[in-house]
Amino acid sequence: MSTTHEPTIPPPRRLRPWNAVERRLARVGITGRMLVLAAPVLWLLVFFLVPLAVVFGISLATKQFGRPPYSPLLTTTEEGTVQLTLHLSNYIRLFTDNLYVAAYLSSIRIAFIATVITLLVGYPMAYAIARAPDKWRNVLLMLVVLPFFTSFLLRVYALSGFMRGNGVINQVLGIFGIPPLAMMQTDFAVYVGIVYTYLPFMILPLYTTLVKLDTSLFEAAADLGARPLRTFLSVTLPLSIPGIIAGSMLVFIPAIGEFVIPSLLGGPETLMIGRVLWDEFFSAANWPRAASVAVAMLVVVVVPIMLLQRVQGAMVEK
Amino acid sequence: MAKKPQLAVDTRPWRDPANNKPFVRIKNVTKKFGDVSAVHDVSLDIYRSELFCLLGGSGSGKSTLLRMLAGFENPTSGTIEIDGQDMTDVPPYNRPVNMMFQSYALFPHMSVEQNIAYGLKRDHLPKGEIAARVAELLALVKLQDYGKRKPHQLSGGQRQRVALARALAKRPKLLLLDEPLGALDKKLREETQFELVKIQEQLGVTFIVVTHDQEEAMTLATRIGVMNQGEIAMIGEPTDIYEFPNSRFVANFIGSANMVEGTVTADEPDHVRIRSAELGCDIYVGHGVDCAPDQILWWAIRPEKMALSREKPESPFDANVTTGIVEEIAYLGDISVYQVALESGKRIRVSQTNSVRGNPDAITWEEKVYVTWHDNAGSVLTV
Repeated sequence: MSTTHEPTIPPPRRLRPWNAVERRLARVGITGRMLVLAAPVLWLLVFFLVPLAVVFGISLATKQFGRPPYSPLLTTTEEGTVQLTLHLSNYIRLFTDNLYVAAYLSSIRIAFIATVITLLVGYPMAYAIARAPDKWRNVLLMLVVLPFFTSFLLRVYALSGFMRGNGVINQVLGIFGIPPLAMMQTDFAVYVGIVYTYLPFMILPLYTTLVKLDTSLFEAAADLGARPLRTFLSVTLPLSIPGIIAGSMLVFIPAIGEFVIPSLLGGPETLMIGRVLWDEFFSAANWPRAASVAVAMLVVVVVPIMLLQRVQGAMVEK
Repeated sequence: MAKKPQLAVDTRPWRDPANNKPFVRIKNVTKKFGDVSAVHDVSLDIYRSELFCLLGGSGSGKSTLLRMLAGFENPTSGTIEIDGQDMTDVPPYNRPVNMMFQSYALFPHMSVEQNIAYGLKRDHLPKGEIAARVAELLALVKLQDYGKRKPHQLSGGQRQRVALARALAKRPKLLLLDEPLGALDKKLREETQFELVKIQEQLGVTFIVVTHDQEEAMTLATRIGVMNQGEIAMIGEPTDIYEFPNSRFVANFIGSANMVEGTVTADEPDHVRIRSAELGCDIYVGHGVDCAPDQILWWAIRPEKMALSREKPESPFDANVTTGIVEEIAYLGDISVYQVALESGKRIRVSQTNSVRGNPDAITWEEKVYVTWHDNAGSVLTV
């Protein structure tokens, strides 16, 4: 009579209301995993892919007066057939008009130089924070993020207050008898603005990479005869490449399309694609042209990301 | 202390410190982290080609001492000399010392070959020589076919051998090993122990090994330094440490020991009598002990140094025999450990070799037994 040794039967699951829902969904082939994935997919679809498709569509239209200020893609002819009209003129114009090519190249150049400067400034800071005593680390990280607590626009205005003709820097220089420097409305001011604004985006990924590095690796290098600089070049730097790539992308990509910093700090000769786009859209009211500029910018940004990710993937595999 | 056996030709320099110069000399070294002394006034001489084990629990200061030898920590006071040169303030990259890390600390972005060659490149050796040396080391640790792999493609045991090869690459005068076998499973550990000793003897390098595993220390070491709370509790050969512990801490820390408290009743040059209420009998110790009559001291004996019997054995001095009831038996195959409850309530452990197969007459639970031991079987401890 081994009634006590009978395997215990799990309580019937259908008693719980959620299980009933789960079963019904399963019957139509929907699992919990799919529901979890559905949320971000839906979000990206509604707020990213559909608008992108709209922008792409507009970029293939031509400018016209009225509402909306571009030609419709689909028209119905008198015979009742649906006609699709695509204009590639906007894209052709992008390549033939020097303004656009120059703006793209100039944007890439400015974003690239700014990224390199941000890396050079951010790396030592991230390294110092990662090596700081535990109790200081969070305070220092907080200080890095602190500027985000004030409005971005305010901070850019504050920078111009520092750099303008009778600004703080020139006043201090004046005390020492140095003639005022023209900093505002130059590329220099744009670099300062970008580096200042995007520095936290460089420091944070670098920090997370550096803080994870096992300190015994540095000790091992020293033990094997490497002086501190050699240890840095042969161990620390190669192992922080993922952080360098992540940080650089986080700075480079938004810097290419940056609009506020060049318009507030840069001069008329500071040519960046964000400003061109703004002018096309708001001054020239040429929606299709602006849309094609945006699509081209997306390509300019996405291609380097894909290349970098391939490099990164290959490095992880190794 | 009882007399130790002496070999005819002694190859152990530490037994004759007057005529042998120590290779590593640690003098009055103290290391403080804030107010806490991790290492307190440690002095230690280690001789050439020794395999010295620093044995201690966690927080005993053994790793800190090793890190000071490597140069990762600077002593708060005291000096460290290696091969006659003061190394106290020399940075790690200028010391003739290499270390094998507990975590192995292999460079994850470099192949096995590059890891081993790292130290050689820092010495700016010609390329051909580096390649030859790397091949030689890979052969030494039997990893010839693994040179191109990355550390994460290796098993734990292989990584351990790469770490050893890398540490040996520069032919250091002194190799420091921090828990070298700690991350390996038991079987691999036992194999690797002997391999490590073989390599050490083959190369003649002085090894200093930090470990918390006393079995490992016993197997590897020429001498062991037992550390406790930042101080060296005892330095000696494995047999000294086990058979002649100098304190209650060492007796308890190494192996297992039965320890009882007693009072000296007779203190003669050739023997001592100790009365122990805990043990329920007198202890006759067959050698002189530095103590005074009526002094309270401790006596420790290893479980395997005692014998069990059903009949009361003869006791020439009316001592060294006590009686109790068998409470527990742990059958370990080769031996059985008996826990005997004495009349005082004290429990002692006695181990017996199972020399008869499936002995039907073996002592069993709840039996009344006599426990006996020889005059010199136990250690008299005053601290």
